[in-house]
Amino acid sequence: MKFNLTFKIWILIICLLLSFLAIFSMPPIFLKKGVLITSIELNSTAFEHGLREGQIITEIDGYKIRSLEDFSNSLKGKYSSGENEKTIFKIGDSEIILFSKEAPEIIVSELSKTNLKMGLDIVGGSRALIQARDKKLSFLEIKDLADVTSNRLNEFGLSDLKVLPVSDLSGNNFMLVEIAEATPNDLEDLLSKQGKFEAKIGNETVFIGGKKDIASVSRNAQESFIESCQKYDGGRYFCNFRFAIYLSEESANRHAKITENLSMDLKNPEFLSEKLDLYLDDKLVDSLLISKELKGRVTTQISISGSGSGQNQEEAYNSASKEMHRLQTILITGSLPYKLEIIKLDTISPLLGKEFIKVLIIAGFIAFFGVSIIIFFANKKFKSSLAVIFTSFSEIFIILGIASLIEWNLDLPSIAGILTTIGTGIDQQIIILDESKQNKFLSIRQRIRKAFLIILGAYFTTLVSLIPLYWAGAGLLKGFAITSIIGISVGILVTRPAFADIIKNIEE
Amino acid sequence: MAEEQPQNKKEKISRIYDKYFKIFLLVPIIFLLFSLIYMGIFYNKNKDFIHKDISLTGGSFVTIYDKVDIGDLRATLSEKIGDFNIREIYDLVTKEQKAVIIETKLSGSEIKKILEEFLGYELNNENSSFEFTGSNLSGSFYKQLLIAILIAFLFMAVVVFVIFRKFVPSFVVILSAFADILMTLTLVNILGIKMSSAGIIAFLMLIGYSVDTDILLTTKCLEKNEIKINEKIFRAFKTGMTMTLTSICAVTLALIVVRSFSAVLAQIFTVLIIGLSFDIFNTWVTNASIIKWYLEKNEI
Repeated sequence: MKFNLTFKIWILIICLLLSFLAIFSMPPIFLKKGVLITSIELNSTAFEHGLREGQIITEIDGYKIRSLEDFSNSLKGKYSSGENEKTIFKIGDSEIILFSKEAPEIIVSELSKTNLKMGLDIVGGSRALIQARDKKLSFLEIKDLADVTSNRLNEFGLSDLKVLPVSDLSGNNFMLVEIAEATPNDLEDLLSKQGKFEAKIGNETVFIGGKKDIASVSRNAQESFIESCQKYDGGRYFCNFRFAIYLSEESANRHAKITENLSMDLKNPEFLSEKLDLYLDDKLVDSLLISKELKGRVTTQISISGSGSGQNQEEAYNSASKEMHRLQTILITGSLPYKLEIIKLDTISPLLGKEFIKVLIIAGFIAFFGVSIIIFFANKKFKSSLAVIFTSFSEIFIILGIASLIEWNLDLPSIAGILTTIGTGIDQQIIILDESKQNKFLSIRQRIRKAFLIILGAYFTTLVSLIPLYWAGAGLLKGFAITSIIGISVGILVTRPAFADIIKNIEE
Repeated sequence: MAEEQPQNKKEKISRIYDKYFKIFLLVPIIFLLFSLIYMGIFYNKNKDFIHKDISLTGGSFVTIYDKVDIGDLRATLSEKIGDFNIREIYDLVTKEQKAVIIETKLSGSEIKKILEEFLGYELNNENSSFEFTGSNLSGSFYKQLLIAILIAFLFMAVVVFVIFRKFVPSFVVILSAFADILMTLTLVNILGIKMSSAGIIAFLMLIGYSVDTDILLTTKCLEKNEIKINEKIFRAFKTGMTMTLTSICAVTLALIVVRSFSAVLAQIFTVLIIGLSFDIFNTWVTNASIIKWYLEKNEI
């Protein structure tokens, strides 16, 4: 028998190849060895020498690094003397040489074998849903809150996090905070308190966060911008930013009174001798120079400036705009005119994550095995039954491919969604199979067209029944809707037509 | 002779079916009435359609990844808090206790304190998981899931009407989907299962699953050709039963494996198994009988 590779079968093959690329990359990442830098302290020695988040360390001082154990073994005891130590990191084809008295301030993790991301209800992490107490926030207010919170959590060293504004079917807006893996013990405190902001000169408080002292923080393009970028000796680029804040009259007076007694800075005569120190939750986050013109003046508009640096202009520009945004949100922090309430808080331990994935895979295989037996019995034809199983596997593979491509986190609802899709997918293939065997007076093409009419009906009913779930419950069950919709759509557009052609091949 | 036998048998069944199919309809009517009455009483008593678990009433789930003496824990908790529930997670193969899950209406931090006192060590990310849902959120969550199911059902009904464009056949498809959901809901309540938000999704999945076979049956029956109605139903039955049985088989096997591991998936699978079983009944008795009646009456 000659197998006719039709256009539809080719589409399936191409989709499978693209999914392989999406899941494993090229060359496949499961072949890569090394450890991944997941987080690095900004402005640390390691950062300045060029180590960056996302790089893969393959060798340290000539030793191959294949696991976290190799990584910690290669650095063990190295920095105990307190002397400057030389360490050579091999990253890809290049080498980074580090001279430091301390171990590099980086956090590394094992390389994942696929691009698939699992949800935190499987691999562990924390998730909180936050609302204002006694106040319905607009989407814009929630967006601001999300910005402020994200900056604040960054200040506390939590970097692998997602802070998003979300809404639900009844028009409520929430802030969703998701933190991968490690969860700080005081997360509840961190989230429910808004953060205390203080600006001090010496020991005296000039203004604190909140509407009483800071009337507004300018974030429009005229009053908040990056003014200049320059290359300095040593090849590093610096970009300066500037934005305006408006103080209340009371705090403007206070500012005048405090600065009146300050002298000029001898080293830097453009500025005053003391700096304006910004504290968030009693932690110094920034020190700003005060221009000499401001000495003793009652001014409600204060211009705040700073800079960002990088190895090229683009990096410096990005770093400056990030820094500006950070400062702006710090200034707004504490000025939220409402109290926050945590309405959902899940902290899931990563302990059983791996085992859970294993159990899911076992469940999937056993279910497949059971289904295969029934199909073999009902169908009694080896080739077409095999085609059913192959098509269902392709469907899972393509769903996973799309999930990697859109960087969707596969949580429990998403997995339930994939399972449903496979169920309905197999059902529809059974329809095609049975229709192709019945009504022998019709041509195979006509028989399969009839099967498709039934399948299209089933597709549209399932599709419309999934749509409301996308919004229900602040999007916590969105995963189910997403994977199911992807699954049934891939089914109707790619795998089912290809399956029909495979069956035509077998029947003819 | 030997070849004629199955043909005779088929005709015999066909004759019995012709004679009794209207009487068969009594069975689903009785089931449907029973479910309606039961749910009416249930709603009156509980002011709700289901027994809700913590994820829908507000409260915490705590999972402790350690061997814990359930008896001791139960005694301590009943002293300190009123309403709670304890479950264990076992290893699939060794049957060794891996974790315990405590359900309570208390907030995460409140129950944490009590548990730490009992265990004598600190509960952190390494040894435990906490899932807390505030009662405000869970209330609105529940309402929205009900709205989502309602909208889903209405959308499905519209699509079914668009597909068949005839009142009775479309209505019967929708009726049997409704009967699936109602009967499943009734049985779930009779069994006293406490539903979580995920369990409610399972009802949504049921809409998709149950309509599949009904659409198959109705499309086949409405086809204009020389094939007799009983033969059409019989052919659809063969395909439809394979569909439902494979689904039930897959879901049951998956349930056995994940049961001890994930309460969320276990509940979804349980609801699906119940729903799919009712679907066999509603598609091949309710839907098939009515459509046969309709077609014979209109001599289509």
